[in-house]
Order: sequence, then C-alpha cells, then structure tokens
Amino acid sequence: MKNTVLSFLIIATALLLNPSSARGHHGWAAFPSGSQITLKGTVMDFHFVNPHSVVEFAVKDDKGQVQVWEGELTSRSNLAPRGWTATSLEDRDEVTITGYPAKNGAHAMRITRIVLFNGKELKLSGGN
Amino acid sequence: MISKFRSTALLWSLFFLNFGFAQVSSTPGQGGPAGEEGIPVMDALVKAKCGSCHTNDDRGNMQRISWERATPEGWEQALRRMTLLYDVDLTPAETGHLLQYLSTYHGLAPEEAKKVTYDVERRIHEETGIPNTVMSACGRCHNFARVLSWRRSVDDWKELSRAHAVRYNARLSEEAIAFLAKMAPLHTPEWAAWRTRVLDKSPDGRWLVTAYVLGRIRYFGEMQMESSGTDGEFNTRATLHSATDGSTVVRSGRGLMYGGYAWRGFSRTGNVTSSAPNDLSNDAQEVMTSAPDESNAEGRWFWGQYQELGFDIRMQRATSNATLLGIDRPLLKTGSRSQRIRLIGDHFPEQIAQADMDFGPGVTVRRIVSHNASEVIAEVDVALDAPLGKRQVAFRRSVMPGALAVYDRVDYIKVTPDSATASFGNQTRSRGYQQFEAIGYQNGPDGKRRTADDVELGPVDVTWSMRVFYESEGSRTDSVGTVGPTGLFIPAADSPENNFDVWVIADARTEKDSDGKPLVGKSYLVVTVPVYTFNGRRYVRDLDRWVDDGPARPVQQ
Repeated sequence: MKNTVLSFLIIATALLLNPSSARGHHGWAAFPSGSQITLKGTVMDFHFVNPHSVVEFAVKDDKGQVQVWEGELTSRSNLAPRGWTATSLEDRDEVTITGYPAKNGAHAMRITRIVLFNGKELKLSGGN
Repeated sequence: MISKFRSTALLWSLFFLNFGFAQVSSTPGQGGPAGEEGIPVMDALVKAKCGSCHTNDDRGNMQRISWERATPEGWEQALRRMTLLYDVDLTPAETGHLLQYLSTYHGLAPEEAKKVTYDVERRIHEETGIPNTVMSACGRCHNFARVLSWRRSVDDWKELSRAHAVRYNARLSEEAIAFLAKMAPLHTPEWAAWRTRVLDKSPDGRWLVTAYVLGRIRYFGEMQMESSGTDGEFNTRATLHSATDGSTVVRSGRGLMYGGYAWRGFSRTGNVTSSAPNDLSNDAQEVMTSAPDESNAEGRWFWGQYQELGFDIRMQRATSNATLLGIDRPLLKTGSRSQRIRLIGDHFPEQIAQADMDFGPGVTVRRIVSHNASEVIAEVDVALDAPLGKRQVAFRRSVMPGALAVYDRVDYIKVTPDSATASFGNQTRSRGYQQFEAIGYQNGPDGKRRTADDVELGPVDVTWSMRVFYESEGSRTDSVGTVGPTGLFIPAADSPENNFDVWVIADARTEKDSDGKPLVGKSYLVVTVPVYTFNGRRYVRDLDRWVDDGPARPVQQ
C-alpha cells in the first residue's frame, strides 16, 4: 500500500533499529552507552532545530586550552513541549553538561543532563 | 473500464505531488447529513457525472458532495479516486470543468485556504498544535494540511472516518472527529462571506512582480496574463530583472484560476541556459493566491525533484500611478555617506525631485543620479544617530513597508533554513538540493540574540563551507557534496548509500563579533539516501517526510 507517511523523526528512530538499512541522520549510534563524562563550560551557540538540537560550548582543558564541544539533544519537536525555546541556553551561559562522548574521539557528546550556573537543571526528554 | 481521466488537465498533473494520499471518500451514495444545511449542486455536468451514485434531494443537494468543500487539489484527488475506483468516465475538458466548478462553489474561502497554502506551495512547515488523537490517526499517512484542505459536515467527517477504517484500517476517534468538525466545519463565516463575492474574478491584465530567490536577492518585473479563450485558462508572460546582477529571465506559461483566487500554472523559458539545478530558466510550476480584492497575489514558482528550488513571488496589479516595487539593497549603515541606492518600480514620472523619495528619519537624499520610468538611482547619507531597524521606503504615495534596514552593527547571522534535508539521487530519482541564505540580525532592545525583539537586517555577504558532524575542520566532504558560493548545497553525484549530518557554515566577509572574529552562522543539514527499506517496506523521500511506497520488491537478479 502506498502512501503511509512517517516523519523523519520516526524513521530516524526506526532506522536505528535496523542496521541493514541506511541510517537516518546519525542517531545516537555515534555515542555508545558506556561511561558518561561531565564538563563545565560556556555556551557559545545553541541550535534549537530538528532532528537534533545542538549546544556548542567552550571547555578549558587541563592545560588551559579552550576546546569547543558539541553536545547533542533530542529534536526541537521533542524539546518544545517540555518548555524549551531557542533561548533556553544563551551565549556565555555557564553550564555543566553530562553525557556520552562520541566514540570516535571527537569533541561531541550525547547530552543526558544540563545544569545551569544557578543550579537549575533543564528538563530533557526521557532517554536522551 | 479504463478511465479516461489522465493528466488532463493541462497543468494539473504537474501539480499534485502525492496523488495517493487522498482524502478517502466512502462508496459514493452512502452517508448523509443530519441537521446541517448542504450546498446545492447547480452544475449540470456534476449532476450528470456524479448523480448516478451521489443522489439528489429535493433541495438540489447531492450526497457527500453537498456536505464537503475542498481546495482544487482536494477535488482533483477526489475525481481521480472516482475515475480509478468507480469507473467514472471523464474527458479532459469535463475534468477541467468539474474541477473549476467544485473548487469555486464547493471550495475554500481564501482565508481558509491560506492555512494550508504551504502544502501546495511545497514549503517545509512544522505543523503544531494538533492533538495526539488526531495526529496518531492522520499523521501516520499524510500531513495535517491534507486534512485541512477539506471542510465537512460532522456527518461527513464521520463518513470519512468510516471509509478510512475500511480502506486503511485507520479510524478516527470520537475526540478526533469532534476536533476536526470544530476546526474544519462545512459552514464558516469566511465561506459565507466569500461565496457571495466569488463570481467575476479574473487575473487578466498586467501585474508587477517581485520575485525572491533564496541566496540571490530580488528580481523585479512584470507579468501579463491574458485569457486563452479556453474555459478559465490564461496565458502568461513574465519578464524579471535582477536587482543586482542585471540578468533577465523571460518566462511564458499557462494557468488556471480556481475559485477566483487560486492560481495553478506552469511556465518555462524555452531556453534552459545551464544544467545548474537552480538555474532560473528551469520549467516551473506556479502556485499563487490572489487577494480577495484582486489587488495583489503571492505564492511560489518551483521546480526540482522535491520542488525544493524556485522563486517566492509577490505580484500587484499595475496601475497608471508611480509604483515602487523595491530597492536593490536591504541595508544601510549609520554614518555612511553617498550610498548609491536604486529604486525599482513602474511609471516613475519624467520629472522627479529628491523630495519624492522618503527613506525615513536620518536618511537624506543627497542627489538623484539618474532615473527613468522603471528605476531611480539616488545617493543617500545616513546619519550616525539614524534610528536602527527596519523602515519603510516611499516614492510619493507608493510605500514599501520594511524595505530597508538601518544598522550600526550586525550582532549575529542566522543561516536559513536553520535545518534542512537534501538527498542523493538514484536511478529513478534526481538529487534533492538545498539553498541556504545568511541573514544578519541585531539583538534588539533586550540585547539578547534569538529573542522576539531581534531585528532582521537582511542578507549579508558570507563565504560558505561545510563540515560533516564529528569530522575535524578541513576534512574532505566531497563524498557528501558541495556548498557553492551562493549557498546552494549540491549532493555528491555518486550516492555513498549512507546518510550524513552536516553543518553548512556561513562566515561573514566583513561583519565581526565583539572579539573581532568573523560572525559565523550554521545550519543543520541532513543528507539522505532517497529510498530505503525497513521491515520489508520501501520508503521514499518526499519534501519533508518519508512515504511508505509499499512492500519492498526483491532485488532483480
């Protein structure tokens, strides 16, 4: 039967379940569920978009060098009902971010927790 | 019996993009209203072709038909369904007549149609505010615009649900039916007002056109529309001039005006000048909506595998008065002097004075460089304390709201669209492209970016690049595609049979942040395969969704 339509997001999820098919967007496979890391940094940009919202933040390493990290969240469509907006994270916000790092060693992570400088934790969707 | 209904319709076959998603009517003749007044069918051909199943009552109401209203696309789908499933025999001329009648007398009011225009104009649109009970039933197979392309009585919504249950195993809940009956009722104030005004609308005549091409600023020109002598059909000829590079595009076409306001047309240059996907000489489908008073129209002319490329169009009827259509630059910086600016329009008089032009407070006309009937070139000075933000520009009594922005700095740039999809091609589907544009913004009074008071300044000069997620800066991206100097992303010709998430990055050429670094904007681009299989089914990409194309066929050995 023709004509059943699924959103990109549904398919993206479905594709993760089916390794023989082409994957949707990258999904979460790039961030294996091993040990998590926690980083303190400063927000540089926040992309409140589909299929993943992305936080760019600057982190100082042990040597004082600034590294730019990209932290990925679920989609704007999933975050918006939880009260998120494009200004939920603003430039220069001090944040503490926890998540699963990318397996290829890139400065990227799948975010599981965000705590603002004032101690407020931003609510994420389940499982992300 | 083989249906005679094919792509009759001159232009229609070009427009309907997902034929199969039809709103499904039940078997003709079933169902019926209770309590709501129907819309009598007055047309002899509708009665003749549909009357054997859709029986009449003594008020001229025909079952189902009198309790439904729809867009031209909705009625086209219904006719297609009738011809395919019930052997209704229609010639192309008859199909055209039925579409015209039904779209006019059982159509949507312009205000109602406007809510779903994004669907027929092939624009990506995030549908929100729809209850889960509705989306779980409807969204599995089509977008919500498809639903709102119809207005129905309560009983007809129930009948639709019953038919969907039979055909697609998708029945609407009582709650969903109640929502739809409230959101898309048969009788509305808009329709009541419109149906008395619908007659005698014609787009005949000369229109002034502003065409915006993402990444290329504006084109200005005119379009002549003349009746072809065939029922409701018009021939068109449009001549568009670039505001920036001097190029000209001449397009000829045909189209139909449905319901007195819904233009569906097709145009071509007859001379495609290059193989570039965004070449403006490509054949284009035209979807436009005329204002109820016929003074203006707007819409989109588009092409591409996913109809992803094209012009945004605004038209206004030409008059004998001096008319300002636009200016060639969207930005002026405070404190700048002798800035040359070109006003583009129609019927500019032979004698003009500096006082004929008004750029708002703080911008003064230093001198008029040249002028003719269609353009005025002036030099202006911008005061250091000129008010910031967008403002109108006027030539005598012709005013263009928000045509010009005065700024002292660009606080940030935003790449639009902020997320997008492009796709590789395969043997049957061409590549899907994506055009980007970088827009400058000021933070506005609150000093914060991305808030409601931000001031959009307009396109800024940038250099484009891309980076695949998790790859280091400067990594090769050839296997994914390229983003050109105008911001057009072109997927690689050879599909790597995989999908990629990519940052499309705009680096401002001149605008810098407070640290002196070039401003940067990014868009999140997903580059996909055009087709994939999952759980034994084949899915193909549409503009912004995946379509279930049926069981996956075994690979031919």
